[in-house]
Amino acid sequence: MHCNCSYSDKNIFLPKETEILKVEQPTELEKHFTLKMKDGATMAFAPGQILEVSLFGYGEIPIGFASSPTRKDSFDIVVRSVGRVSKAINKLEKGQSVFVRGPLGSGFDLDKLRGHDVLIIAGGIGLCPTRSLIQYIMDRRSEFKKFTLFYGAKDPSQQLFLSDLANWRKSNDVDYYETVDKGDEKWTGNVGVITTLFKKTQISPDTRAVICGPPVMFKFVIAELDKVGIPRSNVYVDLERRMKCGVGKCGHCQINDKYVCVDGPVFSYADIEHLEEAL
Amino acid sequence: MMNAYFITEKDFKNFVSAMVQSLTVIGPVAKRKKFVFAKLESAEDLRLDYDVTLLPPKKEFFPPSQDMVRFEKDKYEGCISPQEKILLGVHFYDIKAIDMTDRLFREKNEDWNYLANREAATIIGSNIQTISERAFWGTVGKDVPPKGHDGFITKINGGYVYETRGDKGEALVKFGSFAKATDAQVKEARAVNENVMGKCPEKLNRSSKEIAEKVRKAFSKEAFWEALAEDCFSCGSCNIVCPTCYCFDVQDNWNLDQVSGARTRYWDACLTEDFAKVSLGGGATENFREERAERFRHRIMRKASYLNEKLGGPACVGCGRCSAACTSDIADPVNVINKIMEA
Repeated sequence: MHCNCSYSDKNIFLPKETEILKVEQPTELEKHFTLKMKDGATMAFAPGQILEVSLFGYGEIPIGFASSPTRKDSFDIVVRSVGRVSKAINKLEKGQSVFVRGPLGSGFDLDKLRGHDVLIIAGGIGLCPTRSLIQYIMDRRSEFKKFTLFYGAKDPSQQLFLSDLANWRKSNDVDYYETVDKGDEKWTGNVGVITTLFKKTQISPDTRAVICGPPVMFKFVIAELDKVGIPRSNVYVDLERRMKCGVGKCGHCQINDKYVCVDGPVFSYADIEHLEEAL
Repeated sequence: MMNAYFITEKDFKNFVSAMVQSLTVIGPVAKRKKFVFAKLESAEDLRLDYDVTLLPPKKEFFPPSQDMVRFEKDKYEGCISPQEKILLGVHFYDIKAIDMTDRLFREKNEDWNYLANREAATIIGSNIQTISERAFWGTVGKDVPPKGHDGFITKINGGYVYETRGDKGEALVKFGSFAKATDAQVKEARAVNENVMGKCPEKLNRSSKEIAEKVRKAFSKEAFWEALAEDCFSCGSCNIVCPTCYCFDVQDNWNLDQVSGARTRYWDACLTEDFAKVSLGGGATENFREERAERFRHRIMRKASYLNEKLGGPACVGCGRCSAACTSDIADPVNVINKIMEA
């Protein structure tokens, strides 16, 4: 290997090494990793930002932070086994290394949420990036008013962060509502799509709403938020796209004239509702 | 520093020879009936009478495949290693395109995998002596002047006027027997470059600003885009030959030893079917531009509208390469834009 070292600190594609402190497997497809920078540095990020996570010889994938920056010793990611890279990462064990570039993109503007009611609506794997914001709000609970969380999963076996869910069900700091598209013999909770949770509680029109989930979910949830009377400038969407490079160059994540990996992945809905390709 | 020099036809050949002997010089050379930018082995190779090259000169800074990180077991490092070279004989439309990719690779996150190659290059333009069949550079982005190059050569009676733009262009003067150009020679060169502008076979009839607005407003005319894209093979040739297209894919590859390898970027094309496709797990996928018409529209929007604010004009320079490369001849931006403007 020949290094032209005058450029080594200028290469935006050069990742940093992290050590896996802990691995959990919440579902059949997902692994939950707790990571620490190998050089001892603290990963400073905003909830909603992303990382390009990689394994040499396999490739890179964009993944949202699944823990809050208030928890400085380590950070979490959740990886769903879907392709070559994610399957290889999900074979890794505690003590092994995974490589990251980031934080990248634009996360939640916390100043816009502080001092207000916050409603988070997370569908499926959309709970992973929103968990960063959920933890943040729980860690600095006094900075926010009423905090409501809607979580929908396909079925009970697909639920993520089981110990978190157990805590949120009991906690006075969050009004937590959950649903599954399809129950099983043990499930006694709500069955139905995530919008069915809106009738379980009262949401104020002065709420800041955050949506993250599968692409199909957004339009239906926004219709409900419209009914509540929340202005679209107070609705934040955390979008999924093929963020291949993460630095606004490769073109794969483009929505009309925006690059999701640098202009987002978190957008105020008012800023993108005129973009035909957004939702 | 801007100076104008004159060199006779005969001395020009010696000038090119002298450069080829001591520098890496890339210029237009013949390849069967077409032209390509390639390393000059001798001054005779240089064909300043070319119409257009098959691929634009962007490949010199942004090669079709480029290693960005090399790894071996648990060690890895970047591999930015620029080679100094002279790009000789670049037409003004390609100079404009290079200036655009310069800005796009520099904005927000500076990509030195590109910028280092770019900074190591000296770009010398040349006037258009032969006009390609699909050219429309005379009427596209007229408010955007060519810039970022280091010098420009114009063929006039009896020789060439060489106008330098800064130190890199000035540094080449020592390779030839240049005299200071007279005002009349500079004027003649200017006239040569101005006269050619009206001679393109294809023309846009409206300003870039009018085009940008009306093309953007045509986004929702689904039937229009579907009709245009009906014969699209989703091959991406229009992207690959475009001097302002810079999308890429990134892949890791192992070397044969299976312990070392590289993370490499490759030119990619937004017209190809899986460009915006993501896996959702469990076999499910989401393709954010699933239809051919959506991808066809995306390219036109990028060329005529989306990037205009950033670039000060359209991300199209009128080279006509996409029109010539398209198997079913549906890619021509002039055809698409004029249809929208006339509607």
